[in-house]
Amino acid sequence: MYKLLLSWRYLRTRFIALASIVSVTLGVATLIVVNSVMSGFVDQMKHRLHGVLSDIEMSAPLLSEIHHSEYTVEQIRELLGDDLEEVTCVVRTPALMAFQSPTGMSVQQQVILIGIDDNTFGKVTDFEPYLQHAMKKTQFNFGLENDGYASEYGVSGWELRRQKAEMERRIEEMHRQSMLRAQEQQSKWQAGKPTVAQASYQEPVNQQAPSAGSNANRFAPLPTKIRSIDEILADKESSETKSTFHTPQFTGIDPHAHLRTQVSAEEMFDPAKDHYTGIIIGQAIAKRLAVNENQEVSDFYLLRPGDDVQVMVTTVGRSPKPVSDMCTVVDFYNSNMHEYDSQFAFMPISELQKMRGMVNPMTGEGSISTIQIKLKPDVNLDEAKMAMLARFPVDEYYCDIKTWQDTQRPLLSAVNMELTILNILLFLIIAVAGFGILATFYMIVVEKTRDIGILKALGAPSGGVMSIFLGYGVSLGAVGTGAGIVLGLLFVRYINEIADLVQKVTGQEVFDPTIYYFTEIPTIVSPWMVLGVAVGAVAIAVMASVLPSLRAARLHPVEALRYE
Amino acid sequence: MNKSVSAAKPKMGRAKNYKPIRAPFNVVHKTILSTNNLHKSYRKGKLEVPVLKGVDIEIAEGGFTTIIGQSGSGKSTLLHLLATLDAPDKGEIVYGETRIDNLPAKKREAIRNQEFGLIFQFYHLLPELTTLENVLIPRMVQHGFIRYLANKKKFKQEAIELLEMVGLGHRLTHKPSELSGGEMQRTAIARSLISNPKVLLADEPTGNLDEENGADVMTTLHELRSRKNLTIVMVTHDAEMAKSSDHVIHLVGGKVA
Repeated sequence: MYKLLLSWRYLRTRFIALASIVSVTLGVATLIVVNSVMSGFVDQMKHRLHGVLSDIEMSAPLLSEIHHSEYTVEQIRELLGDDLEEVTCVVRTPALMAFQSPTGMSVQQQVILIGIDDNTFGKVTDFEPYLQHAMKKTQFNFGLENDGYASEYGVSGWELRRQKAEMERRIEEMHRQSMLRAQEQQSKWQAGKPTVAQASYQEPVNQQAPSAGSNANRFAPLPTKIRSIDEILADKESSETKSTFHTPQFTGIDPHAHLRTQVSAEEMFDPAKDHYTGIIIGQAIAKRLAVNENQEVSDFYLLRPGDDVQVMVTTVGRSPKPVSDMCTVVDFYNSNMHEYDSQFAFMPISELQKMRGMVNPMTGEGSISTIQIKLKPDVNLDEAKMAMLARFPVDEYYCDIKTWQDTQRPLLSAVNMELTILNILLFLIIAVAGFGILATFYMIVVEKTRDIGILKALGAPSGGVMSIFLGYGVSLGAVGTGAGIVLGLLFVRYINEIADLVQKVTGQEVFDPTIYYFTEIPTIVSPWMVLGVAVGAVAIAVMASVLPSLRAARLHPVEALRYE
Repeated sequence: MNKSVSAAKPKMGRAKNYKPIRAPFNVVHKTILSTNNLHKSYRKGKLEVPVLKGVDIEIAEGGFTTIIGQSGSGKSTLLHLLATLDAPDKGEIVYGETRIDNLPAKKREAIRNQEFGLIFQFYHLLPELTTLENVLIPRMVQHGFIRYLANKKKFKQEAIELLEMVGLGHRLTHKPSELSGGEMQRTAIARSLISNPKVLLADEPTGNLDEENGADVMTTLHELRSRKNLTIVMVTHDAEMAKSSDHVIHLVGGKVA
């Protein structure tokens, strides 16, 4: 009874005990907060990695192909049986994407072009949730939408195509007008000048006429991608003024004949009403940071849904040849994993197969590069992988079979190591608190030397005296841990609000969603983690109080009584 | 504070004029505590300082024995040895029929707790506890948690009675820091009596008090002795204090003179 009474009184009357409690509290709270945030972070990251990558991938070497894909898929279905959720075939290839930015700059970028089967791809990976257009998230297709694109893109969708087509038309019109004016000028000039002058001015005509006639294809086709209207207008105007000075005679061959045929050919493909093969590109490919007139950083899109891009890939086979085709951006893909958002572009698998010559002309079956597999929940991925490796031996199928964890192993192990080291470091913080408790207790024992002597003189056994201080340590640890748990959990609960507050006070962004993968700080509180931290903290407090307690127990009563 | 203290204090005469009530004639001569050739020395580094050099004393049951000696004569050491707070280098201490200096720690603790009551010059109260709690401490030490709680009411009643007996019935919830020296010593006396000991060992109980308070404490001790049939052993350097006792033992240079 006296042990409890004295422990309690020492706890209540010692200010220094409060310091020990605070140190334990802070240590425990820090451990809980950091662990919660880290496991939230890791969980979210794994979820995304997993979602993007599917469970197991069977892929042919880069630029190679898996023939008989239908047969292989059948085999996989048979092998995995009930464990299989869904399987999808994709063609994955490095590609070059070229486009003109809204300011007329020509941009080339390397991407990973993925041809996907729009029926099954979304069932195997988390593809659709990362699309930006609301309707495509639920009913996915490669068509361009009329509206529903984010307003930050500016004009986009069909509206953009219509505007561009209209601009095109106006430029064409202007071009035509300038031609007519030039012809008018020339006829005026011809009427008023003698033939000698005419002969001297025929030179440019002679230069131009043969080149136009013999090598008409060299003339750039009428651009299907539009530069900014001002720039083009300026171009046209300058050429207009030029032509007024050097206008050649339009006797002979029409130098713009090819343009006229081109225009007539394009009447069949009306950019205001039609679009090329749909392509979905990673948002980071199109998005750049820009500073606006108010000196604020804002997003700037090099590409908008509705813009056309040219993709260039190589054909399969022994001597790959570059081939290119036009595509129309129909949506953006944003998984918030920069690695993917800055590289991935998705298009229909059939189109990509055609482009790369992957369709067998005899059977009409297309070859593929990768088979992606999703397993039922709780199926052991590594076992499934081993089964597949046994069924599809590498010397026969030369395919790489990997789980998503294999693919992202460097990242995952780096994160795990980070977590481990962080925990060790944080536990050292609690250990430091432990040494603080040790010092504090030692001080209290020294201060209480006389009381210990009194208790011993009154017949208290050494064990009893020891348990006063051990009990003191336990209650210090328990109170500190309890407060730490409450504080830590509250911090985790309101972490985003706290981050906002800190940002307001300091003006420094605490959690920048553009740097991290998430818009909010993700947290997961595991009860086991909390329990572990609590037990560890109390244990450290008890361990720290053992030494002072032993000293107290070993004190000689007579010396203790004499102690001043 | 002093006013209320003096108001509540029972009016008693000075120790000098106090005629002690002698114990009844037929009980006096039985020995309750004795030592036989007691030696004790303390080490200070390499130097060994002998404090007791063969002390033989006998304490009569129910008597008031004063051990008197100069500073350094070993009188406090002798008292500590009698109280089993320390072990002698040589010799033995007998309490009743049993030798107690070589008993296992547990038994010595029980003797300290239940057979002996201890009073010190510096009162030695626990500063965090109230007067009442300080008095109850030996009971708490004696009993386990559950047994103590079961008898708490009884113990508390006993403690209150004792405190009233020493004139501190009105100061039950005060902390030692709120008491005067005399009050603290009277609290210590109440504490020493809570487990109904047979022997009261007092180490200069008046050494830190002024004359009046010292006299009060002495009066209280004498009164208690007769009322509770206690054996009192008091250590002091003040020959004046020894006058009122039954037996006086002079200790000079570690030996009984």
